[in-house]
Amino acid sequence: MSRISQMLPRHFGPYGGRYVPEMLVPALKELAQGYGQCKQDPQFQAQLTDLYHNYCGRPTPLYFADKLTKTLGGCKIYLKLEGLAHTGAHKINNALAQALLALRLGKTKIIAETGAGQHGLASATAAARCGLQCTVFMGEVDIRRQYPNVYAMKLLGAEVIPVTDGTKTLKDAVNATLKYWIQHLEDTHYILGSALGPFPFPVIVRDFQSIIGREVRTQILEREKRLPNHLVACVGGGSNAMGLFHPFLHESGIRFHGAEAGGRGPKIGDHAARFTNTPKVGIAQGYKSYFLQNDHGQLQDTHSVSAGLDYAGVGPELAWLYDQQLVEFSAITDVQALEAFTILTRLEGIIPALESAHAVARAMELAPTLPQDEIMVVNISGRGDKDIFITARELDRNNWMAFLKREVEDDQ
Amino acid sequence: MTNNIDRVLRERKGIQLMTHVVAGYPSLDMNVELIRLMAKHGVRLVEIQIPFTDPLADGPTIMRANQAALDQGITPDHCFELGAALAKELPDMGFIFMTYANIPFAMGMDHFLNRAAASGASGIILPDLAWDEPGGDYADLAQERGLHPIMVISPDTEEARLEKILTRASGLLYTTLKVGITGAGATLDQGGLDYVRDLKKKAGLPIAAGFGISSPEHVAMLRGLADVAVMGSHILNLLDHQGLEAVQDFLAACG
Repeated sequence: MSRISQMLPRHFGPYGGRYVPEMLVPALKELAQGYGQCKQDPQFQAQLTDLYHNYCGRPTPLYFADKLTKTLGGCKIYLKLEGLAHTGAHKINNALAQALLALRLGKTKIIAETGAGQHGLASATAAARCGLQCTVFMGEVDIRRQYPNVYAMKLLGAEVIPVTDGTKTLKDAVNATLKYWIQHLEDTHYILGSALGPFPFPVIVRDFQSIIGREVRTQILEREKRLPNHLVACVGGGSNAMGLFHPFLHESGIRFHGAEAGGRGPKIGDHAARFTNTPKVGIAQGYKSYFLQNDHGQLQDTHSVSAGLDYAGVGPELAWLYDQQLVEFSAITDVQALEAFTILTRLEGIIPALESAHAVARAMELAPTLPQDEIMVVNISGRGDKDIFITARELDRNNWMAFLKREVEDDQ
Repeated sequence: MTNNIDRVLRERKGIQLMTHVVAGYPSLDMNVELIRLMAKHGVRLVEIQIPFTDPLADGPTIMRANQAALDQGITPDHCFELGAALAKELPDMGFIFMTYANIPFAMGMDHFLNRAAASGASGIILPDLAWDEPGGDYADLAQERGLHPIMVISPDTEEARLEKILTRASGLLYTTLKVGITGAGATLDQGGLDYVRDLKKKAGLPIAAGFGISSPEHVAMLRGLADVAVMGSHILNLLDHQGLEAVQDFLAACG
């Protein structure tokens, strides 16, 4: 193999890069080097594959959503059930792989940021499995709305540190984790959970998540003897989207659809839809990409009913794919996502994570407009158990509140 | 090119204090008062931080000050105006604008540097704008406008990178005493002090040392090693909890 082909891409068009204080450079170089070695190492790959199969439950099913397809009356819809992976979301693919990488780098501790808590949970799980100490940084707002995951992380032995700065959500959790890392580089590896941040994180996360798309390729070829016409994924930072899309990017004739958080609507602070209106490029959190920001370059507040999509930036490779008009982005509102959540649950008996419900909602918009002989694959990146405190409040408020009250009273 | 930073360092007796204020925190008026006080106590180099929502290299004290300033509506314009007014009132001070990459990126680097130069500043610090990234190698652009690009390194910076940084840096080379983020600390790391000693020998530039300096003893430990001692978080903490007088006492004790 030539030297060039072994080099990890540091930029995606004008995006990505390593915009960090000089003192982070040695650690990021060490990580890129370590990852480059693992990528070429059959032993590392065999170990990971074994864990994917026997620990995570991979491959996850590719399920033909017969009833959803018939109801929408358009293209055939397949669902990639990443929610059936261990810990309930695609996040384990990356967390486990990076935990193995941390061991290779001789680290004894791992840290992670989390929004919805799925990456935190996956990291805490991987840490328990690999005998690493784990600390998870989570925005105060997200701790409240994703408490089941917080509890599970603690059960697994992780320390969960509330982040009280800025917007108290995913973006600020990333800042807090990066800062903690700067102070503990020697023994600590940062398992970044999305395909963003300074090089080499976007490429590491993308590569480890690409198992999703590779499985889909094999599975759809078995079932349909051809590749899909449409791939749909929700996009916060972009890890599940890049994982699904990446193995198909060189194919022609496939359309890639990204569903962003339209939140409560287009007002500033009410959404996390970076590609609607006039997207603005910026440099923050160690990379160049599109960021929701004001004219002075200050990052803006965001909102989404789903903590995992509630993020002001987007992974640099997705920014580049957007520029090339390869990935089409649309904003899905909170209301649409909750509606899709209910419909998928009732029609197919699959409770999706609120993040993934955004992808379902986008699929529901698209499918009726598409010919019946076309095939669509929607990534159900996670399952919805974790969202019980949000969905119950939204969809079954009175009963839920009465239940919570009873629980508290019984305890006193 | 020479400017106030060079003059301050040429004229200095002993170690020169460099301080850090976050523009607009607690208020623009208080910034002016604080800097006047600093000037009175021999501080001749001052970093004026243009607040940013996501200050990657800053610890809790300075980060919260950034947020509070932004909550009050501080924009880069306010910061340049503050700098201009101070430069006029205190013509011997070396003012340095410090901020994060997205501020000049949003404004356009040329425009940012023009504004900084027009405000009478002598240097620029952009800790997360990597010189080896596209658009990040701004040293020449700064120098053309009479501004020193002050590069920040750490004891972990590899030799090969340091050499490249030294071809870009001018005026002052800023090293952190530890690998970490800004913030007052109880002790100074011996490794950091040794690093400053070595760096001084090979850099060919005046050395500023910072991160963790929080007592007159710390400043004394740097005497003879560094040309400049940088204090940020500690002074902010003093101001927040004990007021201007405490800052005055502290600066007097450092002098």
